Amino acid sequence: MTRRGRYWALFFCLVWAAFTLFPIYWVLITSFKTPPAVNGGPTYLPFIDFAPTLDAWSDLFSGRRGQFFNTFYSSTLVTLFASVAATAIGAMAAYALVRFPFRVKLGAGLLFFAIAFGGYQTLTQGFGFGRFDAALRAFPSALVAAILVNRLRLPGPVLGNADILFWFVSQRMFPPIVTAFALFLIYTEIGRAGFKLVDTFWGLSLAYIAFSLPIVIWLMRDFFAALPVEVEEAAMVDAVPQWRIFLDIVAPMAAPGLAATFMITLAFVWNEFLFALFLTNARWQTLPILVAGQNSQRGDEWWAVSAAALVAIIPMMLLAAVLGRMMRSGLALGAIK
Amino acid sequence: MSEIDATDTIRGRDPMKYVFIGPAFAVVLLIAIFPLIYSLGISLLSYRLAPPTPVRFVGLDNYAALLQQERFWQVARTTALIGFIAVALQYVIGFALALALKAKVPGEHLFRVGFLIPMLVAPVAVALIARMMFNPTMGPLNQFLSLFGLVNLPLLTQTNYALGAIIAVEVWQWTPFVVLMMLAGLQTLPDDVYEAAALENASAWRQFWDITFPMLAPISAAVVFIRLIESFKIMDTVFVMTGGGPGISTETLTLFAYQEGFKKFNLGYTSALSFLFLIVVLVIGSVYLAVLKPYLDKQK
Repeated sequence: MTRRGRYWALFFCLVWAAFTLFPIYWVLITSFKTPPAVNGGPTYLPFIDFAPTLDAWSDLFSGRRGQFFNTFYSSTLVTLFASVAATAIGAMAAYALVRFPFRVKLGAGLLFFAIAFGGYQTLTQGFGFGRFDAALRAFPSALVAAILVNRLRLPGPVLGNADILFWFVSQRMFPPIVTAFALFLIYTEIGRAGFKLVDTFWGLSLAYIAFSLPIVIWLMRDFFAALPVEVEEAAMVDAVPQWRIFLDIVAPMAAPGLAATFMITLAFVWNEFLFALFLTNARWQTLPILVAGQNSQRGDEWWAVSAAALVAIIPMMLLAAVLGRMMRSGLALGAIK
Repeated sequence: MSEIDATDTIRGRDPMKYVFIGPAFAVVLLIAIFPLIYSLGISLLSYRLAPPTPVRFVGLDNYAALLQQERFWQVARTTALIGFIAVALQYVIGFALALALKAKVPGEHLFRVGFLIPMLVAPVAVALIARMMFNPTMGPLNQFLSLFGLVNLPLLTQTNYALGAIIAVEVWQWTPFVVLMMLAGLQTLPDDVYEAAALENASAWRQFWDITFPMLAPISAAVVFIRLIESFKIMDTVFVMTGGGPGISTETLTLFAYQEGFKKFNLGYTSALSFLFLIVVLVIGSVYLAVLKPYLDKQK
């Protein structure tokens, strides 16, 4: 590239960096402002424009402004558990899809849908079953029938690993409102049956695991596909069981990929808003909900709002630093090819 | 998939494979597919919680009612408008930034980390920050615009400005994703093509349009597709920034569904709405792929 071209490129990058970083800088300094410093119009430089104070932060940590500790704690717990579980379950599935052949007949899939939905409709409309009871009967029968039928010779296309991968990944295309709203209804029905899921650790974590699986499987598939199969074949000759091959040989080799995938999942779950909005109300409320609530509760108390927002932002900033370092070593490259 | 054929005979019948894929399959079936079928059933009912009315089977009435409602079309238009404009801007800016980073501008390492940050900030936090930035009296943007004589613009309370603000926030947050993906794509391009082009004195401009752009067409198509699908889901940003207002002029499909479901507790109607939303996404996705496919096949 020409010299002039490089200067233009640098200029462009600097402008974008300013655009990117200014809002972050703004929220950071605002959290150290006093009410008069906020209400008197924009000020930019601490110590020069305004005298910084820790009031907003001490308010926050003293718990005078809502139950921050509790929310931070539930957010952390749910995020860590869901990310670990999703990465583990997803990695196992991705490995199976890379190394084992699967055959699913399209006919069996259609039969599943026909029995699940048809049976559900018939039971509720025709026989007066409760919606939840009907679903509880139709759904497992459909699953069993589909698995049995899949063993028969069926006309029609056979779906292979690529199709199953697409099935998993396509879950992410669905607008989450469809699932979130339905999950809320189902959780409520299960709650009426005596098992509470709305506003519980398990209810929210399960939703997040399902919500993260598509991306985990998608990323991990590429990492596993890039590993040499010879090591595993040598182990197989020695009659090492498959689960030992996966845990002792494959997982350590894919460790960087697992770490990157885990962190991406972490960011997704930590920031997720919609499921938390539908599935929690008090005890297991997460940070994004609390932060969103600051808006209506606090209005123009920007110092408090900023401090609250930063609690949600800072852990992800640390993550960005780690991810940026990993990217430089070419790690993320394999993941998104 | 050649690895699979090679190990087919040894591993094909190992029942262990079901243990590996089983948990993921079960979770997706239970938490994603089951709710989907369940709410498909609900979408055929007249089912309200407030005021409680007897549940009745109404077939496709909910869908028909929605399609006749002007608000649905208005909301769909708003969602599409925000999505298309924001993604177009993200793609152009993101691709340009990726090219600049690939050309090793000074300080490239710092830019890489810095550019990544917005993607990891919670959308609700971004929206709160945006509310401060766009505040018509105390925000820094107002002060900046005042320099040009534009004082106290209703940045969040007038439709066009509010839409612009939402799009700006979307661009701020998701351009990094385009940078990340396009940079990965740029790194896979072979050097020798560019060396040959340089020998023939092809200008940087020609090299971009004749080599870089066509070779990155597949990844570009994928990036735009992912961003488009994701941006149709937009909710948190709008929820906090404008709450759908003024009126319903910035309301998006997800927000509309939330209002119907959680404010009015009209369950059948909301389920039908979310399925219509799903259909809209599927239609736009299929049209997009159908339009691009001949072009992408030609590139291969």
